[in-house]
Amino acid sequence: KSFAQTGKISLNINSTFEEVIEQIEAKTGYHFVLKADAEILDRMVAVDYEDQDLDQVLADIFKDTGYTYEVIDQYIAVTKVKDVQQQAQPEKVTVTGKVTDASGAPLPGVTVVIQGTTEGTITDFDGNYSLGNVGIADVLEFSFIGMQKQVIALNGATDINVTLLEESVGLDEVVAIGYQVQRKADLTGAIEVVELESIENVSLSSGNPMQALQGRVPGLYIEKSGSPNAANNRILIRGVNTLGDNNPLYIIDGVPTKRPEVFQGLSAGSIVSVQVLKDASASSIYGARASNGVVIVTTKNGSDKKGEVSVQFNSNLSVQSEKSQRLNMLNAVDRGRALWQASVNDGIDPASGYGEIYNFDWNGDYSNPVLNSVTPQPYVGGDTNVPVGDTDWQDAIYQTGFVINNDLTISGGTEKSSVLMNVGYIKNTGMLKYTDYDRITARINGQTSLLDDKVKFGLNAQFVSSNETLAANDLGNAPTPGLGVTMAPTIPVYTADGEYAGPLGSGYSDRNNPLMMQYINRWDNTNRKYLFGSVYAEIQPVKNLVFRTTLGLDYSMVKDKDIEPAFTNGFIARSVNNLSIYNSDFTSVTWTNTAHYSLDWGKSKFGFLLGIEAVSDDFQDFMGYKEGFSTQTEEFFVLSAGTNNGNSFGTATGSRLFSQFGKIDFNYDERFLASVTLRRDGSSRFGADNRYGFFPAATFGWRLSEESFIKDMDIFSNLKFRAGVGRVGNQDVGDFASLGLYEPRYGAVASQVDGVSHNNFFDNYWNVGSAYDLNGQNTGNLSSGFVSVQAANSALRWETTDELNLGLDFGFANGKLIGSFDWYTRKTTDILIQPPVASALGEGQLQFLNGATKKNTGWEFALSYRKQVNDDFMYEVAGSASHFADKITDLPEAVRTAYPGNSEQTVVGHSELSIFGYVADGIFKNDAEVQAHADQVGAAPGRIRWADLNNDGVINSSDQKFLGTLLPKLEYSLRIDLNYKNYDVSIFGSGVAGKTGYDPYTFYNDFIRGRDNVGPGVFNAWTPQNPNSDVPALTLSDSNNETRTSSYLNVNASYFKLRNVQVGYTLPAGIMERLHMEKLRFYAMAENLFWIKSKEFQGPDPERTNLDLVPIPRTFSVGVNVSF
Amino acid sequence: GSPTIDAAEGLVTAAYAGIGNDDMIGPIASMWVYGSVRSDDAYKGGGGVADMEPFNFYEQYNLTQPFQNWLAGLPFTWENYYRAISRANSALKTLNELTDEEYALRKTRMAEARFLRGHSHFMLKVLFKYIPYITEDLSKEEILATKNRAYTNDELWSKIAEDFEFAMNNLPGKQPEVGRANKYAAEAYLAKLRLYQAYEQDDNNQVININKERLQEVVDLCEDVITKGGYSLQPDFGENFLDGYDNGPESVFAIQFSISDGTTVGRLNFENGLNYPHGAPQYGCCGFHQPSQNLVNAFATSTTGLPKFDTFNDVELSAADITPDGVTVDPRIDHSVGLDGHPYKYRNEENYIFSNSWVRDPGVYGYFQSMKEQQAADCSCYKKEGPFMGVSKNIDVIRYADVLLMQAEAYIELGQPEMARPLINQVRKRAAESTGRTRFADGSAPSNYLISEYDGTNLAWNQENARIALRWERRLEFALESPRFFDLVRWGIAATTLNDYLEKEKTRHDFLNNAKFTAGRDEYFPIPQREIDFTVDSYTQNVGY
Repeated sequence: KSFAQTGKISLNINSTFEEVIEQIEAKTGYHFVLKADAEILDRMVAVDYEDQDLDQVLADIFKDTGYTYEVIDQYIAVTKVKDVQQQAQPEKVTVTGKVTDASGAPLPGVTVVIQGTTEGTITDFDGNYSLGNVGIADVLEFSFIGMQKQVIALNGATDINVTLLEESVGLDEVVAIGYQVQRKADLTGAIEVVELESIENVSLSSGNPMQALQGRVPGLYIEKSGSPNAANNRILIRGVNTLGDNNPLYIIDGVPTKRPEVFQGLSAGSIVSVQVLKDASASSIYGARASNGVVIVTTKNGSDKKGEVSVQFNSNLSVQSEKSQRLNMLNAVDRGRALWQASVNDGIDPASGYGEIYNFDWNGDYSNPVLNSVTPQPYVGGDTNVPVGDTDWQDAIYQTGFVINNDLTISGGTEKSSVLMNVGYIKNTGMLKYTDYDRITARINGQTSLLDDKVKFGLNAQFVSSNETLAANDLGNAPTPGLGVTMAPTIPVYTADGEYAGPLGSGYSDRNNPLMMQYINRWDNTNRKYLFGSVYAEIQPVKNLVFRTTLGLDYSMVKDKDIEPAFTNGFIARSVNNLSIYNSDFTSVTWTNTAHYSLDWGKSKFGFLLGIEAVSDDFQDFMGYKEGFSTQTEEFFVLSAGTNNGNSFGTATGSRLFSQFGKIDFNYDERFLASVTLRRDGSSRFGADNRYGFFPAATFGWRLSEESFIKDMDIFSNLKFRAGVGRVGNQDVGDFASLGLYEPRYGAVASQVDGVSHNNFFDNYWNVGSAYDLNGQNTGNLSSGFVSVQAANSALRWETTDELNLGLDFGFANGKLIGSFDWYTRKTTDILIQPPVASALGEGQLQFLNGATKKNTGWEFALSYRKQVNDDFMYEVAGSASHFADKITDLPEAVRTAYPGNSEQTVVGHSELSIFGYVADGIFKNDAEVQAHADQVGAAPGRIRWADLNNDGVINSSDQKFLGTLLPKLEYSLRIDLNYKNYDVSIFGSGVAGKTGYDPYTFYNDFIRGRDNVGPGVFNAWTPQNPNSDVPALTLSDSNNETRTSSYLNVNASYFKLRNVQVGYTLPAGIMERLHMEKLRFYAMAENLFWIKSKEFQGPDPERTNLDLVPIPRTFSVGVNVSF
Repeated sequence: GSPTIDAAEGLVTAAYAGIGNDDMIGPIASMWVYGSVRSDDAYKGGGGVADMEPFNFYEQYNLTQPFQNWLAGLPFTWENYYRAISRANSALKTLNELTDEEYALRKTRMAEARFLRGHSHFMLKVLFKYIPYITEDLSKEEILATKNRAYTNDELWSKIAEDFEFAMNNLPGKQPEVGRANKYAAEAYLAKLRLYQAYEQDDNNQVININKERLQEVVDLCEDVITKGGYSLQPDFGENFLDGYDNGPESVFAIQFSISDGTTVGRLNFENGLNYPHGAPQYGCCGFHQPSQNLVNAFATSTTGLPKFDTFNDVELSAADITPDGVTVDPRIDHSVGLDGHPYKYRNEENYIFSNSWVRDPGVYGYFQSMKEQQAADCSCYKKEGPFMGVSKNIDVIRYADVLLMQAEAYIELGQPEMARPLINQVRKRAAESTGRTRFADGSAPSNYLISEYDGTNLAWNQENARIALRWERRLEFALESPRFFDLVRWGIAATTLNDYLEKEKTRHDFLNNAKFTAGRDEYFPIPQREIDFTVDSYTQNVGY
């Protein structure tokens, strides 16, 4: 072997061989590869070299040690010298081959050892190895950190290529779990380590890693929509614990934030690990803010490629379509037929209500009506400029959306210093016309160490800037996605002279052309910028004692521009244009100081952690408003250009949190694990008497697989029992929740004020201000006063969650079949609620109080099987299932009516997300059935029969029951990964069962709406001629109140979705070598390819329960992953 | 001044804002939903019966259905009045801590706050009958324990009256700021209250006695207002409903609204914002509040210029009948009702002449449109906000014509009809003189006006006839201004009048087919169920519900 490039070294040491090796590694960049139990490591060595050749040094220190070494690229392989003469093996051969990873990339540094000996070698830079003196019956072991060990019997072969798979169990892997890292093998709480590789490309197509996690983490429930900014509607860890904010806490590189957008804005390429802390014993170290679970994210640093620069590039192009989500709605003529039927059913001349839209040719006989034809009137509202249309509004407002996402990571470093830079750019052109989203992210992570690693400094910083223009509302605040469903088809998109058409004349709703609303709002923009990161220093004054101080920043700025141009759309107009500019500024600074000490004492290992943390949050916002812009161009809409009626609002708020915490970890003989945690938090949000809260936890783990009686069975590769109890808190109330507050409201309508609402739409038409025109002058400055907005509660205290978690991790058959099961029960007490109060108390008398208790029980199960069939083919199948059932167990009597239920059946014993309503018991076929039924207001043939649940002969509010809950009883997933030669295939699907949901399409398909369009289901409706229908007779007056909450509209909403299918091809190593690349992979991917759903659910997708949101798209992507 | 005085001033101002904190779906200033639509004066209107569905149920007296989610209406109105009451009580609490020496205006401001509190309690009382009476000395726990039946019907009137009595005794005759209540406003309001109180009801809402002492109080209080208050009728009836005439000589107390006042949209009245003619070319939405056929018929006059007391409803007058050479009518019809071919809101130029095409859903609700609460679309007092209109025109709570007719009513019920006749005639004379604004550009009138005063012989002026005349006069004078339903309940004739009305009206508009007024229930609204729940049964539900 050539030693020519090994260089010079100075070395003066008198210590163990281990120390010497470390010094050489630190000074040269070479790495020693040898078994950890090699006796040579304890050997004492005394050397003193000045600028000596390394090969000379090596020759000296190995002299007479019984060990020899070999330099292969950056590695120095150390093996024990065998006495060649000792035993003459009958046949010895030299085995050669190549070791690659699952993607076909060569793996350098893999240890290749003959089983039962210490004899071996390591692979070179290209993954090649050559090992002589191997018996033909010997068995080779291939091992590499983070990879599953492979054991291959020679059976006479001399050319053995091996593919090593990543160690998914990763028992030696270390994970960040809260102010420290821990070996995965030592975890005792319910902590899910997310499989990152399979989600990387999925998160690229949406730009949001959280969306990619949907269905992949048992116990993590996510709801989403097709909005181009990929924001999530709901993120729940282990269900709904509280009656308020259920968002988890995020810890990103040690810095806490409750803002989900920080995690959602991370570039796929910059994340190294995501852990979900699900139970209280795991998360209690985060105390007051951890009751909804904790998501810990660590971003990459550049240190894993020593002395080299590594470049990774991911690119993805996606095409998105919502066509599979569209609702089938009526065309112009059919809508006329339906309106005719409904009017005639009601005994009303259809021409009286809709004569301006349709010409009805019928016999005029209400008892035996016959419709000859319906023809739309030629012009909308009689305006010859607006010829009648036959518009498919969904088709008019949607287009194919494109998403381009590029993500570049450059990293490099030496043993002492490393740096990583990541830039990402995503652009989503939006499926809803005139919407779009773009985001640029930049990250820099760096670290360096001094004084033989005794002092470390580091920096993690992420900068994100995004722009979004989303779905708009019409003049009456109706969102355009909903209007795309409901708008009357007779209104054309455009008038004859090319303007946007709108409702005109009688018979139309006061809603606007949704395409026009998108168009006139195209200049609206929300710009979000945030800076998130930390700087830290770590000092190790003595061995095993580490002090760390971290200063973290979570800064967010939102700038929202809302331009409301003047316009006329049919009979609806905005006469005065206006501009609102909203700015907000949120700064959260976290200062964390920890000390960590580890102590080995015989077979016992202790870890001690002590820390203090201070968090200060400050928020302020400002809004400027102006009216009267003389020119309607985008540039002209700046506040100063508005000529009249300006206004401004602004607020400032903040909170402080101060915490002390400690933790002791204990490990006895790798068999018994235990930990105790205590945290004390003080929050400015609570009353002075109850400002501090204690959050203790204890866990216990027993690694049964380390016990000899289990080892002897030789079945389990891993078996661990876990138990934990813990307490966590919740402080998600307003910053001044304990105080009584007054505020001046010079002039305000309810929609401009927090916490005052009757109905979102009509809140614009409700004055709640404190100014009054005492002088009776009609204009000019008003006298103003102030009003109470919140009642004081000085006794306000923490909401606490106590949880017991029991878990079992297991692995069979040498790690091929692995899984885990967790069961938990938790109780949340003193839940912070702001219940409605009797109006007689007056204005602003709502107060936060600790008022409710919830219980939640559930389990999570995960199982995966991985098999390397042969060198070319590998597969893995992984499944998971989870269940939770939460219920309110205590709620003050006075506030129960604010939740589902009635005076007899309250929400106590049920989840607040339960649906409470009537049971539809078919359709009255005739008068006799009406007579036979209980007394029901609105009963008539063709009407829905409401079940008389309490059999008292009258249908009233007592005839309701709990129909189900909005959250599923079971969530499950299935993932299949296949690798064949250079091809890889990944299939992922997930579903829910036991979910009752509102079916918005039934509302439009089975019921006529006088002014909204409806679906073809209305033609199946009951008529005297169609008496067996299960769809009620069409009526415009609905005297039976058939759209009340009932089993008719809330049905089984279970589904299974094939969420992701991915096919990849990785170029063979040989080609990449010529291209000087490490990896080049192309892939194609499809999302939401198909799904199955309950038949009861008429709408296309049970995940789409709100028609006012952009539907979840079907997405096709192609992409490339490159690294070199 | 000291901060506490500033605080007190601010809280009193906020209390005024409280009664003007107008809510489209929880009205407290305009009673068109509760007083007009629920009476024989008007239909709900709008786009069919399901448009603002709760209002349809009020119109049809169909309030016993097990509805779960009210889009609009009573619960919000209840809440808004109690918000206003709490503002008055906040002001009183602070004022109680001051002394007259510290703050010269203390008594005045206390009187204003009590006037405002009295107003809100009064309005709740006529809507719900039995209500919790809340004063500033009650703690939170005491308020929650306050029963709505703590007082009898009559005692509750007297409790509310205490606020007006205090106000009357402590307010100056004239306030430097015209929006504030003065002594005579309080006196007139007390008269109004005593008039309601005089008609004593049993537990089933039936009038069982008319209290003469209360009536005499009404006479005396009104007399004081008439002789000392300095009020007079607006020269032209229409000016009461026209921008630019706010706080005129006829306005005894009004809720002030304003525009271009530095707030985002203005402190506007939105409660009437649904009621602009839907198809008006200047823009309109949404065509609610349509006059009934019965009301339009009631404007017809006999050959002697008096109402057709007995025969008015035998016909179905349409705009085609109400022409310069058509039936004779009271001129107030052209101030109150939008009629095809007549100038709308005194605008006699092209595009402002009311047209049948302006009406939204004539198949259901006919072709008449309410006009008093609206302004011409180009009025600078209007703000188009979303699909609706807000207007800065004040809403009069009591105008002088009401004072005259209240005194007249009291005289009649006291058996002194002759004292009432000049009072009624004063109102009719002004109506007769109010035809200057309603005309076409050429000066011709769109209708055949004929109205005369009661001369004592054209109608035999006995108590019974005087009562009929007075009640008719109130209906026409305040048509669509919404006291009608409350008047009918006060007089104890709601069930008979409204069921008679429905019997005929449902032959004209079949949407009323199932409507029926149930005596002993529908005189009052049910207490909102959520309030009963939130106080854990401090409240007893009204009879019949």
